[in-house]
Amino acid sequence: MTFFSGIDIGSTAIKIVVVDEDGRLADQYVTATRSHFYKNAREAFETLLGKMGLRRDQVGYVIATGYGRKLYKEADDSISEITANGIGAHEVGKAHGGVRTIINIGGQDSKAIQIDSQGAVTHFVMNDKCAAGTGRFLDVAARNLEIGLDELGDYHFQAAGGPLDINSTCTVFAESEIIGLLANGHGKGEIIAGIHHSIARRTVRLAKKVGIEDRVFFDGGPALNKGLVAAIQAELGREIVVPEHPQTTTAFGAAILARSEFLADFAERLGAGRDFHVQAGLSEQGAREACSPQCDAGGCAVRHGA
Amino acid sequence: MRNSPESPAVSALDWRVLAQAARDAVNACDFNRVRFWLQLFFFALMVYGGFAGIDLGLSLPTFACGYNQTGRPGVCYLLPLQHQLALPPRVLFGFAGIGVLTGFVVFFLWFIALNKGWCGFVCPLGAIQDWITALRRRLGVRFSRYSQKSFETLSWIKYVLLALMIVIPLGIGAGYFSHDMSAPFCMICPGRLIIPAFTFDFRQFVIDFSTPTKIVMTVLGAMTTGLFFVGSFIKKRFWCFFCPMSAFHYLLSKPAAFRLIKDGDKCTRCGDCYSVCDLQIKEIADDVNEPQIMMEDCIMCLKCVAACPETGALKAKFAGLTIFESTEAGFMKRMQKGAAP
Amino acid sequence: MKDEIELAKRATPITASAPSATVVSRSEELSPYSRSKQAREAERVLNRIIDDFDDNPQAMQYFYDLFRRVHCRGESIAAEGPRIGTTCIQAPEELIYAMGATPVRLCNGSYHYDQIGAEFMPAKSCSLVKATLGMLTSDNPVPRVGKLDLVVNPTTCDQKKKASAMIEEMGHPVFNLELPNVKESEASRLYWRRSVRQFAEELRGVTGRKLTRKNLKAALARTQRAERAFRAMDGFRRASPSVLLGKDAFLVVNAYFFDDLDRWCEAVETLNGELGERLEKAVRAVQKKAPRIVFTGSPPIFPNLKLPLLIERAGGVVVSDETCSANRMLYDMTAVDEWLVNDMVDSLADKYLKPCTCPIFTKNEDRQRRLLELVRNFSADGVVYQAFAGCQVYEMEQRSVARTLNEQGIPMLYVETDYSPDDEGQLSTRVEAFLESIKTRKRMRT
Repeated sequence: MTFFSGIDIGSTAIKIVVVDEDGRLADQYVTATRSHFYKNAREAFETLLGKMGLRRDQVGYVIATGYGRKLYKEADDSISEITANGIGAHEVGKAHGGVRTIINIGGQDSKAIQIDSQGAVTHFVMNDKCAAGTGRFLDVAARNLEIGLDELGDYHFQAAGGPLDINSTCTVFAESEIIGLLANGHGKGEIIAGIHHSIARRTVRLAKKVGIEDRVFFDGGPALNKGLVAAIQAELGREIVVPEHPQTTTAFGAAILARSEFLADFAERLGAGRDFHVQAGLSEQGAREACSPQCDAGGCAVRHGA
Repeated sequence: MRNSPESPAVSALDWRVLAQAARDAVNACDFNRVRFWLQLFFFALMVYGGFAGIDLGLSLPTFACGYNQTGRPGVCYLLPLQHQLALPPRVLFGFAGIGVLTGFVVFFLWFIALNKGWCGFVCPLGAIQDWITALRRRLGVRFSRYSQKSFETLSWIKYVLLALMIVIPLGIGAGYFSHDMSAPFCMICPGRLIIPAFTFDFRQFVIDFSTPTKIVMTVLGAMTTGLFFVGSFIKKRFWCFFCPMSAFHYLLSKPAAFRLIKDGDKCTRCGDCYSVCDLQIKEIADDVNEPQIMMEDCIMCLKCVAACPETGALKAKFAGLTIFESTEAGFMKRMQKGAAP
Repeated sequence: MKDEIELAKRATPITASAPSATVVSRSEELSPYSRSKQAREAERVLNRIIDDFDDNPQAMQYFYDLFRRVHCRGESIAAEGPRIGTTCIQAPEELIYAMGATPVRLCNGSYHYDQIGAEFMPAKSCSLVKATLGMLTSDNPVPRVGKLDLVVNPTTCDQKKKASAMIEEMGHPVFNLELPNVKESEASRLYWRRSVRQFAEELRGVTGRKLTRKNLKAALARTQRAERAFRAMDGFRRASPSVLLGKDAFLVVNAYFFDDLDRWCEAVETLNGELGERLEKAVRAVQKKAPRIVFTGSPPIFPNLKLPLLIERAGGVVVSDETCSANRMLYDMTAVDEWLVNDMVDSLADKYLKPCTCPIFTKNEDRQRRLLELVRNFSADGVVYQAFAGCQVYEMEQRSVARTLNEQGIPMLYVETDYSPDDEGQLSTRVEAFLESIKTRKRMRT
């Protein structure tokens, strides 16, 4: 049994996903990046393998992504988090009828990505100059309101009145604004709802630059926050798809890509072989999926079980 | 060219390589020299061809002046046309009509072979203007430009002359004008005086005092000839701008075989073509949409093709086959003679 | 046998008039300038240009050495006659050469000078203008500009226009070369021709020499040689895979800013010879599947070759560009009908104005068409559009260019950046994602 892994080294968290030879999610692990991200990433990887009872050589291919990808030398290859996110969202999105626009809010940045029907990235925009509208904003807010990050969603729906307007564009100055609102007796719910809507507005404005096409997919750590999801849906005016594991979608995409790269290498080395899928340790379905989308038309050099 | 990345992959068939080499040689030729010799050749033909017994008929689409009775190799169509139009209507539209039509059809067939190339390469008046221009250049005198406004206003004159050239003879035939006005255009055409002069026939220089109309016509003729010389000295191809033959050509040019084609995608709008254009035609540089880029004033001298630095942007085609096209290498050879290899 | 002699001839180092092609040592610090921030910045970029890539053409050593000497060591290049500073390629250099003077291009690419300029320029200004002004206010700027007898400032974008007065305050005589903002009209053509003539008059005053047919023709011959050398070099990048990397091509053309003209031509001709050999021996600069990129937008000027370097280090290759510090400077060639002074000057003027694709003009159709033609001609897979933050004109044109390219199915990456080195991580993410998406699309198409 061969496994494949994707490791997303972000500014806030390290996410690792392992998929099996058919591309199905096997296990995943999330931990904080902190300062020594290289050491932490290596340790996290070992932890996950230990948890799964796997040896290192059972992992056929590892792809690193995220801002720390270049320095993670244990990986076999690295790709940008945009491509990885696109692949991950495309895979997960299949179960929801296919997705075309991806909105990602990370720890320190936010992105909007447009993919085509085959999961290839066509356009993207990033906001990585300013932490406003990112996970950092939520961190600061939660800290000021003295609640946990996971409680933000609940508070959002408990808001008595409508969401308050948060005027500051800067995360740092928004902190003062929040404190001021609290002092004036506003409830935490309204404040949190206001923060969510502020982030939603900013994010949707970013997404409009790539064009919003159904279906819209929302991932990244902050997508676990149901209040934020509701705010974004309201701002977009349409339903959005949120995966079961939004924080690890990008790492999942990297793992899927790791699998295809491995199989592509393998196919090249094998040449036009019979029972390729058996040799690669794949089901016939898996082997077909590993090849290009055109291979069903009979043009594929690697014959699998045919 | 050994180090050129554009040299084609060697094909198994030698003829293809040879054909490309031939094309490259043509495209990189010393264009001005080739044109000079062609113009000289055709001048000799059109002015002295008759001495060699050449007779190309009465429908030539160029100024093989009929008044040059000894040297002409055929007759400029405008002369017989004006005489034919001056026939009484019942004759013109009667039994002579077939002859008139035939004359026109022959003219048309001659014309569409070379399109306005007749002007740029064959016309003896054109050659004379180019030689006057060369003289001016040698003297170091600058040429004068029309302002855009003047250009647009004056460009109507050729159509007016064309119209008069048709209307007046018809009027003569119908009895409204006297026969003293016959061949009215020929009377004011500078070719009538100048071309016979090349065979030392100066009879056309004389003012005809027989009737007042004749006086006017011959004086006008002398004036236009004087204007022709002065104009050709200060402008390039001065006469061509006003020439009714040019207007006539343009109106019939749609089905012509010889064409000037522009590929607008390749055009950088550098305006090099406009810089060399004798007729100051803006569209050659500015229009990037229309492939049939031969405009009404164009004399198809192909100077623009020779001056274009973008390969494939301008082409002279005959019946769909590219004869001469703009190439980077050709441009460099012609325009950058001083630069080191 | 004859071919071998030919090859050997072409492989020998440059002629005696050029500096020797031996590698200039890096560790020596000969002058105080090499310790300065500016020199360190230049040194770092130059080392990356050389070291991050394998198998650089031997003939490039001339250019590496040139930049090390001029940008890192602060050596000056000997210049003939009066020194005429120019702030834009629209100032006709042929006139300057004809009157026995030397053009000194002032546009600067150094972050160090950008920081200095930021002290007195508005916060949201274009890095290029800040760096140029910062350099001019410095006592001993590198590269050395020497004493400028005149600074020619074509009236192009807002920031360059306003810089005119600032440059004058710094003590340099300034001539404002009036460039029209509309280039389609007949009025603008005549206006520009008149401006160029006025420039010639001004130069006459500064140099004390008259423009004659002979000296103008000679000057044209020299720049024509440069144009030919450039076009030949450019042609090698049309090959698929390319024989020359963009980072080297940019360096070569950037050298034109300050190197001696004739020596530069010789060096490029030598390079072309070597590239021709490489083409024949099928020695390519990149892999076959490397995405081919056309680079456009705000001009990359050494040492700010950040973005092209990023693209090539991420596995792409910049096969062509549409920028004024490279392609536009040397691409267009002048056609003259009558080799008399007035006609030559007019033809020259037209050549500078008519094909110009600078975004300072009202319409940008020529730029869009040029980009499409470059993509076609160089078999490019995508376009990277760089806009300096604060450059209003390039930022605004981005939409129409993106639309035109998208209509033709050509992917485009728009990047807003400046001279600061701290956004490399963010840029590399975008560039890599762009190149990855191109590779994916290519793979899916086959």
